[in-house]
Amino acid sequence: MKNGLGVGAMEVARGADLPQRSVARELAAFTRRNPLAAAGGLVGFLIVVMALTAPLIAPSDPLKADFRRMAKPPDATSFFGTDQVGRDTLSRVIYGARSSLVVAFASVLLGTTVGSLWGVASGYLGGRFDLVSQRITEVLQSFPDLILAMAISMAIGTGMPAVIIAIAVTRIPFGNRVIRSVALTVRELSYVEAARAAGSSQPRVMFHHVLPQCVAPYLVLATAHLGVAIIIEAALGFLGVGIPPPTPTWGNMLADSLTSLVPRWWLVFFPGLAITVTVLAFNLFGDGVRDTLDPRLAPAFLRMLTGGRRA
Amino acid sequence: MRKYLLRRALFGLSTLLGVSLIVFVVLRILPGDPLVAMFGIEGFAKLAPADRAHIMADLGLSDPLPVQYVRWMRDIASGSLGRSFFRGDKVSELILHRGPISAEIGVISVLISWLIGLPIGIVSAFRPNSLSDNVARTMSVLFLAIPGFWLGMLIVLAALFWFNYKAPLVVVQLWQDPWTNLQLVVGPALVLGLGQGAYIARMSRSCLLEVIREDYVRTARAKGLQEALVVMRHALPNALLPVVTLSGILMGFVLGGSVAVEQAFGVPGLGRSLVVAVIERDTIVVQNLVLLYSVIFVFVNVAVDLSYAWLDPRIHYR
Repeated sequence: MKNGLGVGAMEVARGADLPQRSVARELAAFTRRNPLAAAGGLVGFLIVVMALTAPLIAPSDPLKADFRRMAKPPDATSFFGTDQVGRDTLSRVIYGARSSLVVAFASVLLGTTVGSLWGVASGYLGGRFDLVSQRITEVLQSFPDLILAMAISMAIGTGMPAVIIAIAVTRIPFGNRVIRSVALTVRELSYVEAARAAGSSQPRVMFHHVLPQCVAPYLVLATAHLGVAIIIEAALGFLGVGIPPPTPTWGNMLADSLTSLVPRWWLVFFPGLAITVTVLAFNLFGDGVRDTLDPRLAPAFLRMLTGGRRA
Repeated sequence: MRKYLLRRALFGLSTLLGVSLIVFVVLRILPGDPLVAMFGIEGFAKLAPADRAHIMADLGLSDPLPVQYVRWMRDIASGSLGRSFFRGDKVSELILHRGPISAEIGVISVLISWLIGLPIGIVSAFRPNSLSDNVARTMSVLFLAIPGFWLGMLIVLAALFWFNYKAPLVVVQLWQDPWTNLQLVVGPALVLGLGQGAYIARMSRSCLLEVIREDYVRTARAKGLQEALVVMRHALPNALLPVVTLSGILMGFVLGGSVAVEQAFGVPGLGRSLVVAVIERDTIVVQNLVLLYSVIFVFVNVAVDLSYAWLDPRIHYR
């Protein structure tokens, strides 16, 4: 465990010192401090907008085959070329963002939330419950992520809900581990003790006093795992256990490109580029969120700990 | 030490028992009838109910679940691991045939990750914010975002396009034909090695940056030691421990990633067998391969724990 040094105390102090600032000023300050993270956030936001407005901006129907224009390289009519049955690759990449983002957001939200609630309970309650929880987490972490996701996806069938659940399960141990350690520190703080002494029930202390302190690490975790979730989703699609065709996803487009004897470069290049750009954007944004929300990892705080030496 | 080893082994075994239970339960909640997967919907419809029951009994699928689980454990103990639904081959033979190639890919990729990641981490840490540091950091951020299987596909395409080269597609073991075997494993190993190397470079840089500020490093410099010696003898050994731990954790990335990367390169390794078995819903093969991957993952991390005592003489296990 990193030394907790009272995450709670830090949060309380920050809350008391800082006057309420508007969202715009908050964003401006974030951009000044982390220009790269802000750029990542902007690109990520644009990709989300692209996914939402896909029917408006896609040049053609992603499912419409055109047998006069099969396997054409990029040209003026279709910027990213067309696939073996003449579907427009650009439109498919744009629509593919929908499945990738929905799966990534839903699975990370589900997995991190379940893991975090479990972590709060096991950190706060301790005892036998904690012991058993830790053993289960240990078992879940003994699977390589992608392999566990493959097995679950195979078991509950293909389709979006199955993929979301499969990826969410692989995220549970991370939420559980991190939030449990936070709950362990917060549990010992005097205000929690005061709440207990005042006669608050166990669930009340857990949800009203311990849980709020876990919000910042929860957000850090969730943003940090978005990129990984997108890569796992793409890998599942690529291996044929993701969302099945004809729904375009970046992963199943890559799998599709392998069906021809000599893969066409544009069918390989563009979907993969979309994955890389998206993951890069989310990763950069996640790093920025971590620096901002987790005072223990922020450069200023490290300087304080190391006695003014540069971190 | 012996006692610690024993405790650690027992702990690992109980974890793997849990893994086997989860795999077993997850794969038995399959909604589809395995016979539909085997014969197709039309073939399944043509089968008489008696035949269906007969085949199910033949495959051992009509027994109660605990009986099936115990039979699996017995198959593991006997070393045969059970038989594939489709081909009737023993799973153990499949592993012996395909496994060595995947193992080679894994081992070489770990070597590559250290050979690339560590020097980059050292240069970055000793010349922070220099051009090479910035290039290295940008590269490592980039490689964390590039999916390995996509990089693999691009490499295959580039080799085909510029050199008209295609890697062999058959299983060739190292001891049969080292040259052909090398062509088979070098691509996947490189891709996986670069992916891990990005993490290793990041970690070794930040660990070295912490160690460099220590008094004993200043002392080493003050007594006039060459910079190379300061790095190799004084700074590196103390910064290595977290990097070794990370390398163990990255084994999960290698094992999972190799499945997709083997598919991208068309390498006939164990990962390919897993993908085929998953698509064919060959439960027996899948459950054994998933367990095998987890066994390797757990084993590597126990080995990493034990290596601490060797890397850091202050650590003793009792």
